[in-house]
Amino acid sequence: MRFPYDLESFPLGKGPMVMLVLFFISCLFIFAPAEEKGENLEFWIFANTHYEEYQARVPIFEAQHPDVNVKLINYGGTMHDKLLTALLSDFGAPDVVEVEITSIGRFLKGDIDEVGFVDLRPRLEAEGWMEKLVVSRFTPWSYRGKIFGIPHDLHPVVLLYRDGLFKAAGVEMTEIETWDDFIDAGKKATRDLDGDGKIDQYAVVLDNKTESDYFNLLLQRGGGFFDVDGNVVIDNEIAIETLAFFTSLFNEHKIATPVYGTWHGDPSNFAAMQDGKILSVLAPDWYVGILKSQMPQMSGKWKAIGMPAWEVGSRRTTTRGGTMVGITKQCKNPDLAWELLKFAYFDKAGLINRYETTRIIPPLKDAWDAPIYKEPDAYLGGQPLGKLFIELAPDLPPRYQNPYWSEAADLLNDAIFNAVTEKQTPREALTELAEKVRSIIAKDQERWGEGIRDEFRTE
Amino acid sequence: MNSERNRYNFWHQQQKIAPYLFIAPFYILFIVFMGYPLISSLIMSFYEMRGFQSRIFVGISNFTDLLRDPIFWKSLWNTTYFALGTLILQLPIALLLAILLNAKFVRGKNFLRLAFFAPVLVAGVFVAIIFNLIFDQRAGLINNEFILFGKEIGWLSEGKYVMPAVILTGVWQWAGFNMIYFLAGLQGIRQELYEAAAVDGANWWQSFVHITLPSLRPVIAFVVVVSMIGSFQLFDLPYILTNGGEPADAGSTIVMYLYKNGFQFMRLGYAATIGWVLFIIIAIISIAQLKLLGVFREE
Repeated sequence: MRFPYDLESFPLGKGPMVMLVLFFISCLFIFAPAEEKGENLEFWIFANTHYEEYQARVPIFEAQHPDVNVKLINYGGTMHDKLLTALLSDFGAPDVVEVEITSIGRFLKGDIDEVGFVDLRPRLEAEGWMEKLVVSRFTPWSYRGKIFGIPHDLHPVVLLYRDGLFKAAGVEMTEIETWDDFIDAGKKATRDLDGDGKIDQYAVVLDNKTESDYFNLLLQRGGGFFDVDGNVVIDNEIAIETLAFFTSLFNEHKIATPVYGTWHGDPSNFAAMQDGKILSVLAPDWYVGILKSQMPQMSGKWKAIGMPAWEVGSRRTTTRGGTMVGITKQCKNPDLAWELLKFAYFDKAGLINRYETTRIIPPLKDAWDAPIYKEPDAYLGGQPLGKLFIELAPDLPPRYQNPYWSEAADLLNDAIFNAVTEKQTPREALTELAEKVRSIIAKDQERWGEGIRDEFRTE
Repeated sequence: MNSERNRYNFWHQQQKIAPYLFIAPFYILFIVFMGYPLISSLIMSFYEMRGFQSRIFVGISNFTDLLRDPIFWKSLWNTTYFALGTLILQLPIALLLAILLNAKFVRGKNFLRLAFFAPVLVAGVFVAIIFNLIFDQRAGLINNEFILFGKEIGWLSEGKYVMPAVILTGVWQWAGFNMIYFLAGLQGIRQELYEAAAVDGANWWQSFVHITLPSLRPVIAFVVVVSMIGSFQLFDLPYILTNGGEPADAGSTIVMYLYKNGFQFMRLGYAATIGWVLFIIIAIISIAQLKLLGVFREE
């Protein structure tokens, strides 16, 4: 018998038929479920340094838990968008994921019960972790009483300065206590060195295009964009006074230069530091890590003190940036994921390894006893930087999280730039900003309260 | 006998069906990955998200909100500004390069063509990072003593200079790419036309206006329309160059604003609305350009 009918009479001959058969076979492969052995945990990461750390540490976890495979995926900066899509479509989210502090807000929109992360508060309380960690560091990851992530870091901020250049201007920075002291010192140190009428060195570099440095000052002072109940407070007197102070550093006192390039980590900003155009910067622990890796040649030229205080004896630090780790609701084995979370964030050997590579101080208070945090730091001319961070850590201000943070920050950037460039007064800029954000929130609440709700997804 | 007849019928039928089966993969992929998202984004533009699990029907209020949204208008203006810059600066430069590299007296043409074409092979993100350094206010290449005599122009820190900086970067990146189209068009013009014009006593400019430009009309139409569509979809270059549209939305474009609404603010309905409004704008501009350039005219 001939092969089913006549191959030659298949339209266009043999070739297309082969292609068609291959097409259907490949479809089978695409849709066939992957074979799974043991338990799998998928862990998404957005930061390269974290990825490198876990790559080295995960084999230890896998050895402790035979039959468990941890699949680490580093998606870089686009990870948050991928996570958003996966949570929206209810498909494809990892079991465990790290989320960045300015990105978490959008994930908290809608009903609190519908947030895509598991509430970790019961587990944290049952195992007594709340007391062991710096409690203010839970605020960025908490909303309406639920805790969606464990803090990775403290990110305390210090004033990093060029000791030699300040001394050359006759300023002893260790005597600085308040911002008023700093302004006096800054006026001495901000100088035209070659007499051409242009200022060659500025006492401090601040970002006038984004919220970063203004928010450093605002949090230090106990302010914020939202309060603990989610109210907009960016137009209160603390916020307005702080913005007025921030703009005065540029315009009235003329001791601050805008950041060179787009942000503090821009290569042109590093170049300006190297050229001695910048004498100080508000530096979180991770920023010191970046400086070390990007400008090893500046080792020994920096020193650090706590931030100048608003009043004698008040808070000498703030907090900038942060990461959490959480468990998504798509995770099939949250108990196992919880073990991985604790291994990644609470294991002391891992935390020491983390400090060695990134300078990041953990929020776990027990871990601070380790001698590594007290070791002299060559990059700061032998000053034990870890010790300074740990001294400041208990005083970290809370940073309350809100679903509207992304919109708020985007508009806050504009308000700060308008105030620094004197297009608006600080009061006008912040009042207008607060009204805008309040109206965005009010509009959503009105819609959500009265609109027809279309459930397109059912649990 | 009967089975013989069935067999004939089967073959008859499947010969009719088979072509459709062969083109089916494209249409299935198109419907799944293009058609369905298009329709669902149109529907989405009449809704707004309520968190991650539900959405609210809001009628046309996304569209009316958009008309009152100053950041949308700012982004639309920035994008139009860029498109005009492309039209007025980048395409004439591309044409000029093409004419120069088509001229007989230029040496090393192949190398120069490759050199001018090469920037388009570089990913937008890298271009943005490099131009960040070039446009730097105090240490950048452009502001230095040799080009702008040390004048400290805040290319990326003063609102009015931001889009010009983006346009200049666009010229560097895409002029060479458009040059290739013009070059292909120039090489297609019959040499006899120029010879005949020379016999009639036409000078260089007259030949350019009366022979080169009319002969290039289809190529110009194509390049202008494709460049305009590309300009209105501008995203990655200013997103990196201006750190997400800073300062004060001076570098914001429509697609950047769409991205921010969709992915950063979780307003998928509003983002879908921006997408459809952008589609309408691009469609109107493209049709108008094609009409102006006489593409629909019967020859």
